[in-house]
Amino acid sequence: MTGSVVAGIGWVTSQGPGRGREAREFSMTSGPIPPVTREDVFPEPNLRFGRLPQYSRVGLAAVAFALRDAGMEHWETKRSAGIVASTRTGCLATDIEYYDTVLPEGGGLPSPILFSCTLPTCFLGEAAIQFGLTGPTLIVNDPAEDALSGVRMALESLSWGESDTMLAGHIDLPAGPAFPGIRTPLAGGLFMVLTNARGPSAPGYGTLDLSEGGAVRHDGIEIAGLNELVRACIAFPRPS
Amino acid sequence: MNEVLITATSSVTGLGPDLDTTWRRLLAGETAVRPIRRFDASLYPARNASWIEGLESRGNRSLLFPILERVLDGFDPLPRGCRLVTATTKGCIDTFERVRKGLPGDVADIPVSGPLTWLASRLGLNDPGVNINGACASSTMAVARAAAMIESGRADAVLVVCMDLVSEFVFSGFSSLQALDPAGCRPFDRNRNGLSLGEGGAALLMMSAETARRKGIPGIGSVVGWGAANDATHPTAPARDGCGLIQAVRRAMAKASIGPDDIAAINAHGTGTVYNDLMESTAFEAVFGSRPIPLNAIKGAIGHTLGAAGGIEVAVGLRSLADRTLPPTAGFREPMEKCVFSVSPFPQPIGGNYLLSTNSGFGGINAALILKGIPG
Repeated sequence: MTGSVVAGIGWVTSQGPGRGREAREFSMTSGPIPPVTREDVFPEPNLRFGRLPQYSRVGLAAVAFALRDAGMEHWETKRSAGIVASTRTGCLATDIEYYDTVLPEGGGLPSPILFSCTLPTCFLGEAAIQFGLTGPTLIVNDPAEDALSGVRMALESLSWGESDTMLAGHIDLPAGPAFPGIRTPLAGGLFMVLTNARGPSAPGYGTLDLSEGGAVRHDGIEIAGLNELVRACIAFPRPS
Repeated sequence: MNEVLITATSSVTGLGPDLDTTWRRLLAGETAVRPIRRFDASLYPARNASWIEGLESRGNRSLLFPILERVLDGFDPLPRGCRLVTATTKGCIDTFERVRKGLPGDVADIPVSGPLTWLASRLGLNDPGVNINGACASSTMAVARAAAMIESGRADAVLVVCMDLVSEFVFSGFSSLQALDPAGCRPFDRNRNGLSLGEGGAALLMMSAETARRKGIPGIGSVVGWGAANDATHPTAPARDGCGLIQAVRRAMAKASIGPDDIAAINAHGTGTVYNDLMESTAFEAVFGSRPIPLNAIKGAIGHTLGAAGGIEVAVGLRSLADRTLPPTAGFREPMEKCVFSVSPFPQPIGGNYLLSTNSGFGGINAALILKGIPG
């Protein structure tokens, strides 16, 4: 299988926002995610961002930081890049927020704005609009602990020629006290820009591909989990 | 590249507990959209949905499980090493509702890993598989993913299982968006006024033609093309020019190496909302011109089953190709403005081998499949 270049990495974790070119270390944990504001993400006013629930803000911010890190944030014509992210609990936090508007009034005053964010894919639509991305957009729910199924699927799509560029990552927010039995070992949002496109771009973080058995490899070395993958990428030698 | 066959299908809808019953009642132009009894809908302007009769919760667990039991009851044995890909938008949303109301419910069922784990155990699979969420195009994207896995040799066989429930959570949301038609949905009708929700499930066993031949399993039909694209225009409404759907359909036709003239029938998403149906008509006209291709939508009969919609429509689509008959569009009476396609409240003959099936959803998501019948 031919590899795809990691052109950019961006994230929001319990330590706050970050991107590959500014980072020396990376750790995604189960800790709570600090609020993400419009100023953290967009220098200009953004009408939609402030209305989004936390899950969508974290996802949209991580996509924005990854594209910025890859030098691909700005665009003039729509481009065929797709987005795929893995998750365990999806937008459960938004579901709770929405359903709380349904319960007190017995169905009288449910919030249409919140309802429109009760699919884990909704922030992908926001990202597609914001950055002109017209490729396939989907979320993959995977109980696996490695949180790599989004990356794995994106690499498959790239190898099958479904797209030249994919944003791939993982997103989860802690379920909080409402559902104490539900675990989110890796909380926050993280995206990587993976590309097969050749041409002028910022120096990358090495190459990803899949082994015969479906394991994600970074420059030929099998990777066991998302934290390990990001650490391998940001440690990858590249021109300063 | 491996040819991708579908060798077994199963479906449960508001119209019936199996595909044969659903098919028979679809051909008769019947609808399962009727007053809701699952929750008190009296406060909502629309009070109808297509729900499945006789579902019973066991041990305070989700109604999704009895649907899955019915879908898998008597289903063909799975080949060794078969992979699982599911599609649902809200999974065990009724369990979520129960727990939030302070009623007993198994919290472990709330993440989609709950039904995935249940399915893997029920089917005797070592790998719990993954769930694809592509909004209302979830199962279309799941079938596309399974087809790509088989075509590329990543898998020999994949079981796609799709499912979603009628719930107050989703019903109240679409009601708040004023997207529900109190009279029941009327796809592609001049007076269409919104969608009707539905629930259901489907299972599709897909495998390479070589695997099927080796095991002596006959195919029902094949998946020859697939494509997906995002509108990148609006978070909830479809693009008025149908740009994403046009791109998805063109990608699917390119994958199938066929042209617009080869498509003999279209199973449209056809939710019955003003903007969706107009968008689809616009997109199909951009791709197919003014040729009056037979087109239908089954959501007037079984409601919009969300993440299950595309999978159920594949099962029905394969039956349509086998019987060379496109089921009626229940609820349709008077053609909508500017629609050149042949929509009918009666069955329509299919004069070719390729059927296009499409779905679109929130977030600008569009997906298309091209099914090919097996000459009988």
